[in-house]
Amino acid sequence: MHILRRDKKEEEEGGGNPFHNLEKTTVLQEARTFNETPINPRKCAHTLTKVLYLINQGEQIGTTEATEAFFAMTKLFQSKDATLRRLVYLGIKEMSKIAQDVIIVTSSLMKDMTGKEDQFRGPAIRALCSITDNTMLQSIERYMKQAIVDKNHAVSSAALVSSLHLSKGSHEVTKRWVNEAQEAVSNDNVMVQYHALGLLYHIRKHDKLAVTKLVAKFSKQSLKSPYAYCLLIRIASKLIEEEGAGSDSPMFEFIEGCLRHKSEIVIYEAAQAMVNMKETTAKELAPAVSVLQLFCSSPKPTLRFAAVRTLNKVAMKHPAAVTACNLDLENLITDQNRSIATLAITTLLKTGSESSVDRLMKQISSFMTEISDEFKIVVVQAIQSLCLKFPRKHSVMMNFLSQMLRDEGGFEYKKAIVDSVITIIEENPEAKEAGLAHLCEFIEDCEHAVLATRILHLLGREGPRTPTPSKYIRFIYNRVILENAAVRAAAVTALAKFGAHCEELLNSCIVLLLRCLLDTDDEVRDRATFYVDTLKEKQKALNSAYILNGLQVSVIGLERALHQYTLEPSEKPFDMKTVPLASQPITEQRVQAVREPGETTAPKATDKVAASRQDVYAEQLARIPEFANLGALFKSSTPVELTESETEYVVRCVKHTFPHYIVFQFDCTNTLNDQVLENASVHLEPSDGFEVIKYLPCPKLSYDTPGTTYTLVRMPDEATQVTGTFSCTLKFVVKDCDPNTGEPDEEGYEDEYVLEDVEASVADHVQKVMKPNFGASWEEVGPEFEVEDTYSLSTMKTLEEAVTNIIQCMGMQPCERSDKVPEGKNAHTLYLAGVYRGGHDALVRSKLAMSEAGITMQLTIRSTDQSVSEVLASAIS
Amino acid sequence: MGLFDGLARWLGIKKKEANVLVVGLDNSGKTTIINHFKSEEYKNHDIVPTIGFQVEKFKTKSLSFTAFDMSGQGRYRDLWQAYYRECHGVIFVIDSSDKLRIVVAKDELDALLKHPEVQRKRIPILFFANKMDLRDAVSSVKCSQLMELENIRDKAWHICASNAITGDGLDEGIQWLTDQLKDVLVKK
Repeated sequence: MHILRRDKKEEEEGGGNPFHNLEKTTVLQEARTFNETPINPRKCAHTLTKVLYLINQGEQIGTTEATEAFFAMTKLFQSKDATLRRLVYLGIKEMSKIAQDVIIVTSSLMKDMTGKEDQFRGPAIRALCSITDNTMLQSIERYMKQAIVDKNHAVSSAALVSSLHLSKGSHEVTKRWVNEAQEAVSNDNVMVQYHALGLLYHIRKHDKLAVTKLVAKFSKQSLKSPYAYCLLIRIASKLIEEEGAGSDSPMFEFIEGCLRHKSEIVIYEAAQAMVNMKETTAKELAPAVSVLQLFCSSPKPTLRFAAVRTLNKVAMKHPAAVTACNLDLENLITDQNRSIATLAITTLLKTGSESSVDRLMKQISSFMTEISDEFKIVVVQAIQSLCLKFPRKHSVMMNFLSQMLRDEGGFEYKKAIVDSVITIIEENPEAKEAGLAHLCEFIEDCEHAVLATRILHLLGREGPRTPTPSKYIRFIYNRVILENAAVRAAAVTALAKFGAHCEELLNSCIVLLLRCLLDTDDEVRDRATFYVDTLKEKQKALNSAYILNGLQVSVIGLERALHQYTLEPSEKPFDMKTVPLASQPITEQRVQAVREPGETTAPKATDKVAASRQDVYAEQLARIPEFANLGALFKSSTPVELTESETEYVVRCVKHTFPHYIVFQFDCTNTLNDQVLENASVHLEPSDGFEVIKYLPCPKLSYDTPGTTYTLVRMPDEATQVTGTFSCTLKFVVKDCDPNTGEPDEEGYEDEYVLEDVEASVADHVQKVMKPNFGASWEEVGPEFEVEDTYSLSTMKTLEEAVTNIIQCMGMQPCERSDKVPEGKNAHTLYLAGVYRGGHDALVRSKLAMSEAGITMQLTIRSTDQSVSEVLASAIS
Repeated sequence: MGLFDGLARWLGIKKKEANVLVVGLDNSGKTTIINHFKSEEYKNHDIVPTIGFQVEKFKTKSLSFTAFDMSGQGRYRDLWQAYYRECHGVIFVIDSSDKLRIVVAKDELDALLKHPEVQRKRIPILFFANKMDLRDAVSSVKCSQLMELENIRDKAWHICASNAITGDGLDEGIQWLTDQLKDVLVKK
C-alpha cells in the first residue's frame, strides 16, 4: 500500500511515467511478495508490471536474479485473478531467455491451454512455446495439434503463430502439423486463415514444387481473408523472382487477377508486387499503374500516400508508364498532406518533360520549409536524377541545390545535398565549375567536419584541373585559419595537391604551407612538413606517388601488417609491398538483403563494406600452418561455381594468389543427407610448368555443412608464364549414413566426382588500384618498359562492350571515369591502373576507335618490369 | 483488506488456507491423488506425466488447500526446493508396488528433510503408500520400515495406505493433515 501511494505521488510530480525512477534491485526485492500467502493480486500485478517494464527498457538481469524472480512468479499460478495470470504469461515469455529451469511451468501452462477459461488459452500457448525446447516438444505436440484446429479463433491463431516460431528451431516436428494447418486454412476467421497459410508456407518453403502447388491451389479456391491473399501474392512474387518467370506464368496471372479483388489492401499488394518485379515491361505494368492511379483520387490519405509512393518507385524504372498518371499527380501537389505532395512532385520531376521542370521546381520551393528532412532528402534525390537526365538543366538545379544548402537542415539532409552535387559534378563536366563554386561557398559556413573534409578532398582532386585553379586557394586557406584540426589537416592536403599539379601556383602554395608549420595540432604540422619537403624536391614522380595518388593499401591490412612487424622485431625495414591492396571500388558493393514474404515489403539494401573480404581470407589462410611461409596474400578472386547448384555436391573455388604460389580454396557442400564424405580433397591436373605441392583435405563433410579443402600450387619460374587451365576432380571416401541421426556406417568406399575446370588468368595476378590522377602516375612510371600494340576487335559491336571486356580481361581498375563511354562518340580512351603480383605498378592506356569494320584498339602498357608488361599484353590476345 | 479478511475468518465464513507440497517419485500417483479431491466438473480424465509443476485447489470441511503438485521425474526433482519455503505441509507419495525404487524415494525424502527451509519449520508430513490394490504392493507398515520413518523425530508424520484410483484411504490421510494444519495455522 505504502509503495503504491508513494508511486502515485511521484506520478503527480513527475507527470507521465509512473515507472520513471525504478531501480532494478528494489523491484527484484519487491518481487518477493509473490511468495506470500495468501496472494494479493493487485499488489503482485503492480510489481510484475514493474519487472516487465524494466526488462523492456533493456535492463540486464543476471541469471541467478532472474531465476529467483521467475520461481517466485510461478507461485502466482495459485491465484485465479485473470489480470495477474495474463501478466504471468507475459513474465514467462520475457524471462524464458534469461532464467534457468523455466521448463518448470510446462504442466501449469498445458493445463491452462486445455482448460475452460478461453481468456487464458491463447496466451498460455504462446508462453508455452517460448519455454519449450526441442526435447520437450514431443510431449506437447498432441496439444498443439488440437489447439491449431480449435474452434476458438484466438486459440487457433495463437497456436499457429507459435508453431511458426517453433519451426525455427525444430522444423522436423512442426512439419508433422501440416494436416492441422491445412484444416485451419479453411477456417472462416480472417486472421486464422492468414496465420495458417503462413505456417503452411513456412513448413514447405524449402520445397519449391510444393510452394508452387500451394499457390496454385489457393489461388483457385477463393480465400476469405485479405491478409491471406496478400501473403499469397508475396509468395507468388518471390517464386516469380526465383524462377525468373515471365508474364505468361500462372503466378503472374494470379497476381494480375488480384488487381480486381474487392479489398483495397489486396489490390495495393498486387500492384506493389508487380511494380517490384525485376523484369517487367511498361506494358505489363499498365494495369498496376492504372489501379494506383485510381487510388490517387481516393478520399483516404493512406491510400493516396501508398499509391504515390509506389508510383514514385515505378518512375525510377519506367518513367513512361507513369506519365498516364501525371494529371492525377498534378492534383496531389496541393494535397493537405505534405508527404503526399512531396512525393507527387518528385514523381512528376522524374516523369515530366524538360519544359515542366522549371514550373515544378518553383512549386516545390514554395513549401520546402514545411516538410521534414526525410522528405527533403527525397526531393534532393529526385533533383539529382533529374540533373543526370537533363544535363542541360544543370544550372537551374545547381542553383536550387545551393539554395537548399544555405537553408537550415540536419546532417543527413546536408549530406544528401553534398552527395548529389558531387555526383552531378562527376557525371557532367559542364557543371563542375558551378558545383565547385557552390561547395566552396558551403564550406565557408559548415558545421559538419565530415562534410567539410569530404569537400576539401574533392577540391584537391578536381580543383587543380580546372581552368582557373587559383580561385579555390582562398577558400581552402580560409579553412586552415578558421576550422578545427581535422578540417585543417584536410585543407593542408588539398593545398599540397594544387601545388603539385600546377607549377605556376607551386611557390604560393609552399608559402602557405610554411605558415602551417607552426600549427597547434600534430597531424596538421606533420602533413605540412611532409608536403613542403616533397614539393621542394620538384620531382614529378615524387609528387605523383606521394601527393596526388596517395596510399593504396587496405587500411585493415596495413594495421595488421604493422602490428605483426612490431611483434617480431627485425633488422629489415618495413616493406610496404607486403601489405594487401585495397580492393576497389569499396562504395559500390551493396548486398541485397534476402526478402522473405510476410516480413517487410520494401527490399532493404544493407550497406556492407566489401573491402574486408580479402582481409578475412588472409586471416583464415594465415591460421593454416602449411601456408604460413607463402608470404603475403596478394589477391583473392571472387568465388567461381565448379558445379551446377542442384547437384549432389556443390563446390565453389576461390583462388588466392601469393608471390610464388596459388592456393585454390574449394568450399564444398554435401547435399545428400544419407551420405557422409570423409577425407575429401580436390585433385588438380596442372598445365605446363605448374606443380601441385600439397593437398589439404577436409576431414569430414556432413550433410548441409560446408567444408573447405585447399590445394597448393607452385607457379612456374618463367615470369611470363602465368596462365593455365586445371582440370579438377573431387576425391573422397563415402560412408552411408542414416538420414535422421547422421550416424555413418563403419565401412566406406572411395569415389570421385568430376568438376569443371579452373582457370588461372592474368586477372588473378593483378590487383585493382584507383589512381585519382592517372596522368601523373603515367609520367611517374615512365616509358622504360613500355609495350605497345594494335589490335582489331572484330567480335565486339559497341564501345561499351569492348570497354567492359577489356576491364574484365585485365582485372584492373578504370580511372578518371573512363569506363563510361559518352554517347554518340566513335572514339574513346580507357585508362586502367593496377598492381601486378610482386608489387609492380602497372598502367594501361587503351585507345579505342570504332569504324565500319569493327573496333580497333591501340594498347599501351607501362609498368616497372618488362615481363609484367608482356604478360599484360598477352591478356588481350 | 486485512480487516475484512479477519472478520470473515472470525465469523467462519471464509475457510483458512493452507499450502501443501505434493512430492514423490515419478509415476507414484501424485497427480491422480490431487485429481481425486477436485470437484466433479474439474476432474481430469487422462493423467499425463507432469512436467514442472501444477497448482490445484481443493477444499475439505474446514480448510481450503492449495496443492503444488510437483513433477517426480529425475530431472525436475531439484526444483522441489524452490517451493519448500511457503508450504505448510508436505504430502509424500510412495509407489508401494515399486520395491526397487523405494530406496530412491528414501534418498529424496532424506534430502527434503535435510533442507534448511524444511528443517527450521514444524511441518506435518503425510505419507501415502499408494497403489495398495496391486498384488505385489507392500503394506504401509513395511513401507514405513523401508523408508525408516521412525527416524523422523522433529516432525509430525503419518502414513496411510491408499488407492488413488478408487480413492480408498485418501480421505483418511487428508483428515489427519487437516487436523495437524489447523493446529499450525491457529498458532500462527
